[in-house]
Amino acid sequence: MPDDGHGVPGPENEGFMTILTRLEQWKEQSTISPEQHAHLTGLSRGEPFSLFLELNVLLYAGVLVLVVGLGWTVSTWSQQLGDVLVLTVLSTILAACFWYCFSRAPAWSPAETPAPSPIFDYVLYLGSLVWSLELGYIENRFHALSGQLDLYLLATAGLFFFLAYRFDNRFVLSLGLSSLAGWLGLTISHWTAHQDAAYRQYALLYCLLVGVGGAVLQRRGLKPHFFGTYLNIVANVLFWAVLSGVFDREGYGLWVLAMLIACGASLAWGLARRQFAFVAYAAVYGYVGVSSLFLRSVTDESAVLSYFVVSGVAMLVVLVQIGRRFGRPA
Amino acid sequence: MRIYSASSEETLRARRLLTDWVGESFLTKAQYQVLEEETVSELRTTNVFLRLVLFLFTVIIVGAAAALFFVVFLLRPSEQTAGVFLLIFAAVCYAAAEVAVSQARLYRYGIEEALVVCSVGFLCAGMQFALFSGSPHSQDAVQCLVPAAGAVFSLWIWRRFGLPYLFLAAMIFVIFLPGYWTSSREAQHLIVAVFYATGLAGVAAVRSRHRFDYLEEAYSLVEAFLWLGIYLTINLQLSSLTLSPQWWGGTRAASEFPRPFYWGTWVLIWCLPPIVLARGVRRKDRFVIAVGAIVAVLTLASNKPYLGWPRHTWDPMLLGILLTGVAFFLRRWLARGPGGIRHGFTTARLSGKDKHWISVGATVLGPLSAHSITPDPQPSSPDFRFGGGQSGGGGASSDF
Repeated sequence: MPDDGHGVPGPENEGFMTILTRLEQWKEQSTISPEQHAHLTGLSRGEPFSLFLELNVLLYAGVLVLVVGLGWTVSTWSQQLGDVLVLTVLSTILAACFWYCFSRAPAWSPAETPAPSPIFDYVLYLGSLVWSLELGYIENRFHALSGQLDLYLLATAGLFFFLAYRFDNRFVLSLGLSSLAGWLGLTISHWTAHQDAAYRQYALLYCLLVGVGGAVLQRRGLKPHFFGTYLNIVANVLFWAVLSGVFDREGYGLWVLAMLIACGASLAWGLARRQFAFVAYAAVYGYVGVSSLFLRSVTDESAVLSYFVVSGVAMLVVLVQIGRRFGRPA
Repeated sequence: MRIYSASSEETLRARRLLTDWVGESFLTKAQYQVLEEETVSELRTTNVFLRLVLFLFTVIIVGAAAALFFVVFLLRPSEQTAGVFLLIFAAVCYAAAEVAVSQARLYRYGIEEALVVCSVGFLCAGMQFALFSGSPHSQDAVQCLVPAAGAVFSLWIWRRFGLPYLFLAAMIFVIFLPGYWTSSREAQHLIVAVFYATGLAGVAAVRSRHRFDYLEEAYSLVEAFLWLGIYLTINLQLSSLTLSPQWWGGTRAASEFPRPFYWGTWVLIWCLPPIVLARGVRRKDRFVIAVGAIVAVLTLASNKPYLGWPRHTWDPMLLGILLTGVAFFLRRWLARGPGGIRHGFTTARLSGKDKHWISVGATVLGPLSAHSITPDPQPSSPDFRFGGGQSGGGGASSDF
């Protein structure tokens, strides 16, 4: 094993076993094979050192900055450049991206599929963003979609869902879920003047659609690993919608009930599946909702502060108990 | 000095590595079960989400309890009295954190972290009220005691509890110090940079003794913070908040500083990224490499304002092409090496954490990017937000 001169234990390293010492010991005890020892020792020493995450972040940032610049240039210089040139460039990028993806993609599988090349996911993401940009440009310049913008969003969401499932891409799935939410929001704005209440109800409809859709797709074995993305988005939208109802001055009883049910469901799911994000959602959103109920008629300063002390301690005790019972042992 | 024993922390690190390795099938489940029994630590840890929530509720409790004390027991106290009690609260919080660790063996549990963070806040507020309330000279040099005490106390907690964000807090406190000593802006930049550089020299000297042990990552993060701090201090386009309105317009800010100083910092912002990157690559230090890449991008982004050149709308496009090009070239170059390895670097994924972070990033950042790239809606339909949804990203789920 090469020694770079840094592996010598210093004075503060004495008295405990580093991972390298442990690996040596495990090899001598035959708990791990010599091959495993060599491999794991190398990994512990950063040999080889993986740049997987760094290069992915660089690609993502590059694609995003590229499209931001493209959008900025198009919106600023469209008059000088001319519609033909702008649309030709955007369409060429779009076509090149989609050609690359469709020509390189392996046969479709309902299970999780690794990308055929390291840049594949980012080419697809670039194509999806350029699609949004080009449609936005067409709308801005020609108003071709006037009156049917909601349909555009729906169609875009549909395209993104298709691409996400075809190429197994979570970036594009998130874009699809975002576009679907935009379509629902836009549709509501055409329908009613009482938008706050309507938005809340249709946020619930969105949660129902996405949640049920995600669950059905998971049960049918269609990219079941996407289900976590669906659930996280649904949980956050649901809690925001329900909380906005709880904050209402009138007619909030039903929303309080809905909040308690949502918190219970989120807590149960988080504990059963050991996905603690959902326990955290239940704790934080639930605390905010219940606190708003308790404090809406309290004006005394010391009563408010006492509430925060007592309720905070109660939450702390419950969460520590949850952590002890379900938490990962050290 | 450190509140946790080295063997406990090293055992925790070993267990984390084992979990990662079994996830990547470098170890069998049977091997993992055997080795797991050999890496039992008495420290009590928890999931990142529980840690965050426990932190939040502890801050709520401490803040509310302190406020309640003032409301119930001290009606309209003088600022000096309030300051003294805040100092007492700081001591109580710190003592509670020590007890939480020594008795309950909490490790990155949220509770003890919130207690020490509150103690830093109480200390600074208490000193300000107790020593300097009603002082006619708000910029007296002696008032630098408040940020100085904040910096020293944060550093102490960083050493004692190993919380990296307390080191960051100490760096932030240092920023306020030179303002009490001199009104010269270039001197203020220089003093902060000298503080950070001194810290960097100290960390560099100490960390070589901790290669491959549990402190390596902690020192790596601190070194990365210090490099970033030095860069942000010397990059006058980024660190001078008063210049920010001119930033996008590309107005030259040279008039704000003496010309030799201004152009000296311009040279330095070009010299620093390769130095940081080279050090990170040589030591195979992930955090330092990341900071090297960040400061390189910041140098490219702030070069035009530095030179007083106008910005162009296509600048981000060129930057995007450069970033993707560098990533693409590096990937291909490394992949073509023997076994996909060149000079000890590879593009292969060797840790399950990498995949997890990309998955979290895709969920959170995917929808956000749609909002940032799309043009403004047409005037005739003000409600319309093109390409945007109303939902945010979901965040991550994680096992306990």
